[in-house]
Amino acid sequence: MDMAIKTFNLTKKYGTKIGCAEICLRVPRGQIFGFLGPNGAGKSTLVKMLVGLLFPTSGKALLLDRPLGDTGVRARIGFLPENFRYHDWLTGQQLLEFHASLYGLSGTEKKRRVGEVLELVGLAGRERQKIHTYSKGMRQRAGLACALLPDPDLLFLDEPTSALDPIGRRDVREILVSLRASGKTIFLNSHLLSEVELICDAVAFIRQGKIIRQGSLEDLQTGDITVEMKVGNLTREMVNTLSSLARSLEVRENVLMARVKREEDIPRLAEAVVTGGGDLFEMNRKRSTLEEMFIRTTGGGEEIC
Amino acid sequence: MLTMIGITFREGLNRKVLLISLVLAAIFLGLYGTGVHYAAKSFNESPNPMLASVVYPQLLSFGLYFGGFIVSFLAIFSTVGAISSEIETGIIQAIITKPLRRRDYVLGKFLGLGLFLALYSAVFFTVIALIINLKTGLVLEGQWKALGLFALQPVVLLAITLYGSVVFPTIANGVVMFMLYAVAIIGGMVEQIGWLINNAGLQQAGIVTSLVMPVDSLYRKIVHLLLSPADNPLNALQQMGPFGSMAEPSVWMVVYALLYVVFFTGLAVYSFNRKDI
Ligand SMILES: Nc1ncnc2c1ncn2[C@@H]1O[C@H](COP(=O)(O)OP(=O)(O)O)[C@@H](O)[C@H]1O
Ligand SMILES: [Mg+2]
Repeated sequence: MDMAIKTFNLTKKYGTKIGCAEICLRVPRGQIFGFLGPNGAGKSTLVKMLVGLLFPTSGKALLLDRPLGDTGVRARIGFLPENFRYHDWLTGQQLLEFHASLYGLSGTEKKRRVGEVLELVGLAGRERQKIHTYSKGMRQRAGLACALLPDPDLLFLDEPTSALDPIGRRDVREILVSLRASGKTIFLNSHLLSEVELICDAVAFIRQGKIIRQGSLEDLQTGDITVEMKVGNLTREMVNTLSSLARSLEVRENVLMARVKREEDIPRLAEAVVTGGGDLFEMNRKRSTLEEMFIRTTGGGEEIC
Repeated sequence: MLTMIGITFREGLNRKVLLISLVLAAIFLGLYGTGVHYAAKSFNESPNPMLASVVYPQLLSFGLYFGGFIVSFLAIFSTVGAISSEIETGIIQAIITKPLRRRDYVLGKFLGLGLFLALYSAVFFTVIALIINLKTGLVLEGQWKALGLFALQPVVLLAITLYGSVVFPTIANGVVMFMLYAVAIIGGMVEQIGWLINNAGLQQAGIVTSLVMPVDSLYRKIVHLLLSPADNPLNALQQMGPFGSMAEPSVWMVVYALLYVVFFTGLAVYSFNRKDI
């Protein structure tokens, strides 16, 4: 597959402190890639290396087949920094024109793109206002607009919805999905799983600077199946049978949580309860959502907002 | 890079620093103009050509000295956070990730601010020269060269402050640059005293400081350019005092100042090219 991003053992150390270590990623073109991890895991560090703010301690990376440090390729890359701050004494229009010039756009093309992105992020009509009068959400939209100016093939977004309300978040998701439809690649940093889960094709989990899991959303979600059962007349014998069927079993009074490997194991569980003389009041299959997995893989307990 | 020059220039115009400097300049030039006016008036009423030919040049040097002070103040204040504050606020992150070489970012800052400062100081110089010329009729030699050197003063400070802005946080940079500037000023005075009492130690101390920070010696050179017709018997008297210039800095001092600018701008580019943001 054609890759928009390839990294080879990319490592950044701040002195002796690890920012991120030995990151090997493959992000195919045309996908939305979610980079997930708790705060301080090293997400921003990786993105900053990729967009050229930080110099890697070791390792290599290719963006759109060009090595890091190639300034030419940046005309095809958009970046929304985490702590977006812009010249707030400019108006929205002036800010976008400035960024368009930095992207090398000029004349009518500049005017056209500025108008288009204002429309796209929903700031049309507010472009004559100075940035310092914008709300936080509007600033984030303005930042996104700047990143979209060159109609980039590759877009890096570091926590793009942190300042947005639910409507704003939905708007951003819609923008991202429509960008993907036109073949763009999007690299999305987030500690909000619910965000990523809805739109990403593939994800990687990072914790303490190391990638602990990565893959397509489908692959990652076909893990174990969790089944919750409410059982009356529970006997020790029955629990033993169920444990031998399931990969793990949790018993809380009359509620049982069983994790099984395959779908075919679900009716077996029911059978074991019935033949063992129990009363099966309720049986639910729980999908292993990304969130559960996220908490599992990152060990829970971390600051997950 | 043109984009960077443009935004930097506009930023310079937008800053509070400019307003403060304009107010300071207006107050200063107002007071100065009034002072020169009354001095000229009293000499016109009771002519004393001898005294006038000592006092007028002293008035001129005084004006240029404090004018240089204001221009330097503006140079340091407008440059001190040129890069560091953009790093501190994060504004820089969306800029240097654009298809723009880091070198062009630094040079754009340098040229934008340099243009702004040079224009400001050129206007300042012209106003002082006009006041003196119109009120006292003192004929100034080498005006254009002097104007060039006067505009070079803030550029010298710009170069080293911009470098500081790459390697230090804004506040630390401000402290360091003002200390350097103070060293130059004091060094310049010490050197004048050195010439006055003919003390080689003080003279050398002055020379060393002007190598560290050549702003003050540019000022001394300007005063010489403007007031030094070779056959002027009063020259020594005109150049006396803290604002005068008893020993003319050589042309090499000017060359040194130019190299100084090039060196620190280059160093700023070099350091910035390797900097983690
Ligand atoms: N400039 C820096 N100097 C030292 N440590 C840093 C610096 N930037 C980030 N770190 C550390 O590197 C780790 C990863 O940070 P970061 O990439 O910002 O995490 P995330 O974006 O996932 O929240 C954190 O432990 C953070 O404290
Ligand atoms: Mg981060």
